[in-house]
Amino acid sequence: MIFAVVLILLALLGAPLFSIIGGSALWGFHSSEIDLQAVTIEIYRLAEMPVLLAIPLFTFAGYVLGESQAPTRLVRLTNAVLGWMPGGLAIVSLIACALFTAFTGASGVTIVALGALLYPALKQAGYSERFNLGLITTSGSLGLLFAPSLPLILYGVVAQQVTLKNPVSIDDLFLAGILPGLLMVALLSGWSIWNQPRGQLKKKVDAKEIFAALKESAWELPLPLLILGGIYGGYVVVSEAAAVTAVYVLVVEVFIKREIRILDLPRIIRESMVLVGAIIIILGVSLASTNYLVDAEIPTKLFDAIRTHIDNKWTFLILLNLFLLVLGMMLDIFSALVIIIPIILPIAVGYGIHPIHLGLIFLANMQLGYFTPPVGMNLFIASYRFNRPVMELYVATLPFFFILLVAVLVITYWPALSLALIN
Amino acid sequence: MEDTNAQHTAWGPVRFLHHVEDGLLVVLLMSMILLAFGQIILRNFLDTGFIWIDPLLRVMVLWIGMIGALVATRENKQISIDVLTRMLPPLLKHISRIITRLFAATVAGIIAWNSILFVLDEWSVGNKAFSNIPAWSLESIIPIGFGIIALRYLLEAFSDIYRVFVRRRA
Repeated sequence: MIFAVVLILLALLGAPLFSIIGGSALWGFHSSEIDLQAVTIEIYRLAEMPVLLAIPLFTFAGYVLGESQAPTRLVRLTNAVLGWMPGGLAIVSLIACALFTAFTGASGVTIVALGALLYPALKQAGYSERFNLGLITTSGSLGLLFAPSLPLILYGVVAQQVTLKNPVSIDDLFLAGILPGLLMVALLSGWSIWNQPRGQLKKKVDAKEIFAALKESAWELPLPLLILGGIYGGYVVVSEAAAVTAVYVLVVEVFIKREIRILDLPRIIRESMVLVGAIIIILGVSLASTNYLVDAEIPTKLFDAIRTHIDNKWTFLILLNLFLLVLGMMLDIFSALVIIIPIILPIAVGYGIHPIHLGLIFLANMQLGYFTPPVGMNLFIASYRFNRPVMELYVATLPFFFILLVAVLVITYWPALSLALIN
Repeated sequence: MEDTNAQHTAWGPVRFLHHVEDGLLVVLLMSMILLAFGQIILRNFLDTGFIWIDPLLRVMVLWIGMIGALVATRENKQISIDVLTRMLPPLLKHISRIITRLFAATVAGIIAWNSILFVLDEWSVGNKAFSNIPAWSLESIIPIGFGIIALRYLLEAFSDIYRVFVRRRA
């Protein structure tokens, strides 16, 4: 108990999270008199999970896309196709950000890469400063629920470590994320239409511009289809889809579009693999701590303890939402995943919640955490990027927070939305 | 964000190690992409394939992850919570840095030490992984990785101690 308090304190003081999780695993094994070499054996299990290959490959592909002109083309295309709608440009921003985040894994890249394009455009179109900042900051984590986002894959990997009757498949997770993700985009689009500047000139549909934008994006356009089609057509598994994506993106951006020089690749590789390394090492030590948790039957004991106080699923879900919101403000999504999921997944399943539904509840909550004051990461990234005080961003994102909170509640209390596509 | 400045001022052999780490990341990732893509082509179009590619790719994920983590340590990009430290006054910030670095070094060090024992064990038993490759050689990245991470945090802690308590008085 004292050790747990010390660990939490060290975590709050800024100790790297892998050392906190690793420390708890070492302590757990030590106190149940298991040889500490067990930790090494658990970490080596990283080399026994085929799906993990998808993590470096998708991350690299996302970084390459982010460095190329693909974001500019994406904005031009969505603008050509959707620009005529009321609130068109704002909706363009939402969709472009969602697609881009799905590929780059919500690591703040979206705000940096797309924000620079969208912010001036929205301003010129007459949207208020506050709406503009709020929209872009919020969009930085929109798309988390769409394949092939890194957190979705990681949830699948972690959930597979917890032995369940019906194991979680990543293919199913990819499908399950579609409707809840669309719900978020739809609600935010509604808010954008409501907030459109008055007297905005109606843009006409320009077939020529649509055609030109389509032609310009012709190489990147097939990507989502390539991934989803490949997986659900049964041609490739997730890790193979990642390999095809990496090769495709490399060939297009380096050799066909020539927007990335070969000399830039080592730097892009290093930057993307630093993120991958930071995630993999946390995942590795968490395999050890999870193994200890399961061995010591801690989730079962917790479940029994909680069940004496909470007797139904709905009360449990309310408390879960509150807990995850607070958690999302403190921890980044990757650490929160590997620390919390092994504990709450068995408990949630005990209350009759589908593991895939829990995944979407978890990720949707965490998505809010990205811009929940006072410490949401995207608030700081946007503050840095647009050179605004963080306080201003707190105010700007507030309405967006409540809109997405509605989405999170719908996702939580309407399981069919997440499960409809997988049955 | 603290940058890679340390890299340019680092002592020769250390700088060499940095280059090796960066180079390995490039070589590993490029080979992973080629091997994984090649295997798909072989399997789907030529109805063949090499059985060693899949296990090799899985081990390469471990290697690229560990080396990525080494570089993340060097560039101060390991994932951590920085809510509280952001608000601390400078002296306390330094002290909390020293304490947390020492803690991280200890944990990484204990994992490294036990991994060395484990790898030595595997070596003396002579366990084989796929394609008759000795298992210890594939596992060796765990002690190497955690060992270097432990050293890096230890050095950081010492240089912070020096900066705060020695140079301050002088």
